Amino acid sequence: MKMRIQIKTTLILLTAFLSIILMFSGFVYLSVSNYSYEDFYKLLEIRAVTTAKVELDQEGGSQEMIALRNEFFEKLPQEKDRYYRISPGESFKNEAEELGVPISFFNEIVKEGKSEYTKNSMFYKGIRYKSKQGEYVVIASAQNYFELHHSAYLRRTLVFAIIAAFAFSALIALYFSRYVFRPLRKITDRVKEISSENLHLRLDNNSNNDEMSDLIGTFNNMLDRIETSFETQNNFVSNASHELRTPLTAIIGEADVTLSKIRTTDEYIETIKVILDEAETLDRKTKALLFLAQTGFNGKTQKFDKLRIDQLLWDVKETIEKINTNSRIHIDMSLLPENPVKLKIKGNEQLLHLALSNIISNACKYSNNNVVNVSIGASDQNVFIIVKDHGIGIPEKELKYIYDPFFRASNTLKYEGYGIGLPLTRNIIRIHNGEILVSSIVSQGTTVQINLPVGKFEE
Amino acid sequence: MEKTVVIPTDFSIASLNIVKSYVSMQPANARLNIILLHGLHQSDSIRSLLFYSKHRMMEELCSKEFKEACYVLKNKFASQIKTMKSDLFSGFTQSAFNQYTEANNIAEVCLPVLYNPKFKNKNSFDLLPYIKASKLPVEMVGSEVDVPMPEKGKVAELFFNRVSVS
Repeated sequence: MKMRIQIKTTLILLTAFLSIILMFSGFVYLSVSNYSYEDFYKLLEIRAVTTAKVELDQEGGSQEMIALRNEFFEKLPQEKDRYYRISPGESFKNEAEELGVPISFFNEIVKEGKSEYTKNSMFYKGIRYKSKQGEYVVIASAQNYFELHHSAYLRRTLVFAIIAAFAFSALIALYFSRYVFRPLRKITDRVKEISSENLHLRLDNNSNNDEMSDLIGTFNNMLDRIETSFETQNNFVSNASHELRTPLTAIIGEADVTLSKIRTTDEYIETIKVILDEAETLDRKTKALLFLAQTGFNGKTQKFDKLRIDQLLWDVKETIEKINTNSRIHIDMSLLPENPVKLKIKGNEQLLHLALSNIISNACKYSNNNVVNVSIGASDQNVFIIVKDHGIGIPEKELKYIYDPFFRASNTLKYEGYGIGLPLTRNIIRIHNGEILVSSIVSQGTTVQINLPVGKFEE
Repeated sequence: MEKTVVIPTDFSIASLNIVKSYVSMQPANARLNIILLHGLHQSDSIRSLLFYSKHRMMEELCSKEFKEACYVLKNKFASQIKTMKSDLFSGFTQSAFNQYTEANNIAEVCLPVLYNPKFKNKNSFDLLPYIKASKLPVEMVGSEVDVPMPEKGKVAELFFNRVSVS
């Protein structure tokens, strides 16, 4: 049977409450009745001693004693005081039968000096008393008034208290379990709303730093990843064609120009070399894109190698200059660390090449082939790549949309592009556990900062 | 040749550009101990003094970007910078400042030409009057032009040669 966890919690709480209450009231009942029995026996003993003193030691003061007893001793229910003389060699068999008590009761009094006996709420207390006339057995008996009145009252009170406490604790347990599971129910309701059509929805995290907000954070993180891979999946064809077009254009252009008239052998060789080069680029990109598509974004199945960022940047520069001969890229080494180990990262060369060439070629494109500064630096944790252009910039209001696939800023109309490069770049940087920060001022320029964690290699 | 230099800072990346320009002006064999000094009045309530911790105060003032940028500089000038640390000065008098410089064996102070610090903490104060009155040699670096940059507050700010605190 499927039991809701909320009901389960309520029941567990209730059981705990109830067992504590039962234990508590049982303890109270037992200890109170125990105490009252002892107290009653003591009372009976006093009665017995008084009777013996009055009846057996008939001395001068006994008249006052009787008066005192009659005045101050409250008569107990069915109180009876008896005394029997102890004569050696004679048993109390008849007396025992008459009283309805076992003979061992009398024997014990004779032997030990005192004894107690209970039968049907009649209490017997016997003592051995030594008077001037000889030794006596004195027995006081009465019905226990506690048993008659108090104990029933105590039982009633306890039962009422238990019922009241049960009802009260049931309410508390119900409220408590509701209260604890309310955020969970909220999360469930909200998650139900999220489907593949509205993956941008997130759970609101307004509670403070507790386990629930952890859960919500984890959920939102997961949604982030799902959304990213969803988008990439959706746009994969466009992404791929965008990336594949550049080298293809170069190949077609080169072939077109060469075929327009008869050329010398050297020129053909040159052309075929260029075409081969571009075809190789195409091959690399296809592989990288395939990688991206196959591996998703868990960052685990990627093949990560040791690579040096500065070398990678020079490669990127070379590639871009080949595609766009007008570009002016200035690689600034002024903050290059003295220790080259700090520039080594763990990464996939093709993917990072793709990401960096995207950023830098965008910088060239949107600054009309003005100088683009590319700087490298490294702290102990991160390698920084900073790409700075003096181009058209990105309007401040649109900065938050730049990672949306196919988004293009309002001032880019006269530039060719599909709005795919940057989301792809961000995905690649994310795979490498890096960070990409874009800041911009319209018509002043844009700065892109890429932080990649330093690969910790043992030297 | 080893010397200790004080550079006033407001814990912005821009103030680290002074360090960059200054160190690149030094000879290759220089061994520098750089103290990034920040003026901060201590609270005079007994409770906050009781729980005062310099470490925590620094954590509050230094941003993650600032620390990263410090490491970038340390890596860049690994052979010239022997130590680089940030410190707080909380004295009220000129002699307190003089004592601080004496105790730390300060040889020089470096200031940007365009000096206009912005403090995040309301207890921060400008060290310039103390520096001027201390008769320590002052090195001025940077230019007087201030251009707006998109990369304000990011580590990227460190990578471009603009020396001013604003």
